Amino acid sequence: MREVAIAGVGIAKFGRYDGQKGRTNKEAEDLGEEAIVEALKYADMEWKDMQAAFAGSCEQGMAIGHRCIGRIGETGIPITNVEGGCSTSLIALRHAYQAVATELYDVVLALGVEKLKPGLLGAWPDPIWKKMMGLDVIPAQYACNMVRYMEDTGSTMEDFARVAVQERHNATLNPNALFFDASEITMEEVLNSRMVAWPLTLLMCSANADGATAAIVCSKEKLRSKEKIVTIAASVQTGGVYGRGETEGKAGGSVKIQNLNHGELGAKQVWETSGYGPEDMDVIGVYDAFSPSFLWDLEEAGFCKPGEARHLLKEGYFEIGGKLPVNTDGGIMGRGHPTGATGIAFAIEIFRQLREEAGPRQVAGAKIGICHTMGAGPNSVFTMLKR
Amino acid sequence: MTASEKKQVPVSEGLWTTPSSPGEKPQLIGSKCPGCGEIVFPTNRRCINCQNEHMEDIKLSRKGKIHAMTTVMLRPPAYYKGPVPFSIGWIELPDGVRVNATLLGAEPDSFKVGQEVELVIHKLQEDEEGNDIMAFGFAPVEA
Repeated sequence: MREVAIAGVGIAKFGRYDGQKGRTNKEAEDLGEEAIVEALKYADMEWKDMQAAFAGSCEQGMAIGHRCIGRIGETGIPITNVEGGCSTSLIALRHAYQAVATELYDVVLALGVEKLKPGLLGAWPDPIWKKMMGLDVIPAQYACNMVRYMEDTGSTMEDFARVAVQERHNATLNPNALFFDASEITMEEVLNSRMVAWPLTLLMCSANADGATAAIVCSKEKLRSKEKIVTIAASVQTGGVYGRGETEGKAGGSVKIQNLNHGELGAKQVWETSGYGPEDMDVIGVYDAFSPSFLWDLEEAGFCKPGEARHLLKEGYFEIGGKLPVNTDGGIMGRGHPTGATGIAFAIEIFRQLREEAGPRQVAGAKIGICHTMGAGPNSVFTMLKR
Repeated sequence: MTASEKKQVPVSEGLWTTPSSPGEKPQLIGSKCPGCGEIVFPTNRRCINCQNEHMEDIKLSRKGKIHAMTTVMLRPPAYYKGPVPFSIGWIELPDGVRVNATLLGAEPDSFKVGQEVELVIHKLQEDEEGNDIMAFGFAPVEA
């Protein structure tokens, strides 16, 4: 398999584009078009250079890739739409990477798009009887996982609030974030915000948003610029493992069978196959659709021991200026969560860090980074980039 | 409809036993794998752990301990007609299975990890014909 480089990236700033209260209205296709055009400009390429595309969204309906690309060109290339919950666009990127690595194509676009109603991630498509019993409320099932994590590690609501504060701070340094223009928040505000399902408060939840992200991958030969080349060092995807239940599987699942969950399994595979370990990473993105998973994602991926993340967080270890900067652009909590676009947003921040383009968020000397999403299914995708 | 015509209808068939003698209490029905011993609820013909296709019905213990719980402050968007806030949780039964269920019979935010709870069959809501739709839940064990 040959090396795959990232030629260009683009983002339609995450925001609310519903035309309400003086806001601009933009369709999902407008957002997708913006992201693609920016990526083409960055790559110094034209639409006709694209040989294939992988696109995805969670809720935009059929043919989202075609509908966005149709704003720009129709050149007969294969366009494949994928869905993988919060991992959607990292899955699209993985397919684009594989297509170039295996020499099927030389230049491929990966795209993620989402336009959502304001609010929280809602209900899982359970059978109606479970809905009638009130068992389908995603934040409530998530809260049960938090309760187990607190039991097992001694983590507290203050720890979860501390994550939200750091991420909202980082977002003020990221012009493409939903919360770029918003004021920072305090621990008290997070703890006193409306209770969604104990112990999950509103400000521990990410906010739905609209947005799009794009990345163009290609063989090294096809790169227009040969400076600061960033390649995809690994892209590992896993699915649910028996006994670990839905999502991170802490509350439910098997009593007797103790398998690694899909995130732990993916981490094991990425460290074993890439030749790098967690200690080699200069900058990382971890999955934080709700602020508590920032902590257990770090632990399950092997960046620290179980129960250790909250202590390191308190010491500033994961700040932009810390030993291992995490979610330097604010992560999902800071950027907002256009679910289909979130995955590539993680990869774009690692890319910018390695290209020394992160401005006030820059981690000095960053040469290798990794990002991780967990999606409904469940699935897990780790994507490692190196310079 | 007269009181005598009003029926109790389960929210879904086959989730719990119908007592056949006085003094017998309902039990949830799970599936046990003859191959690997795994137990799941609700029932499933196939074992997701070892792919054995002959899982057997097993009547589950009525009592268990709360493994995790939460007080839900949001009204679920559709189908749910019960009170808000309400409590749900995962209850670990000594048979070796965890069950996702409503927690009732006490203030929603009073439930604790490790608390002993007992199966309750309760009315959720009425259907279009005025029958009582019944569901399962767990409540604190009577002192």
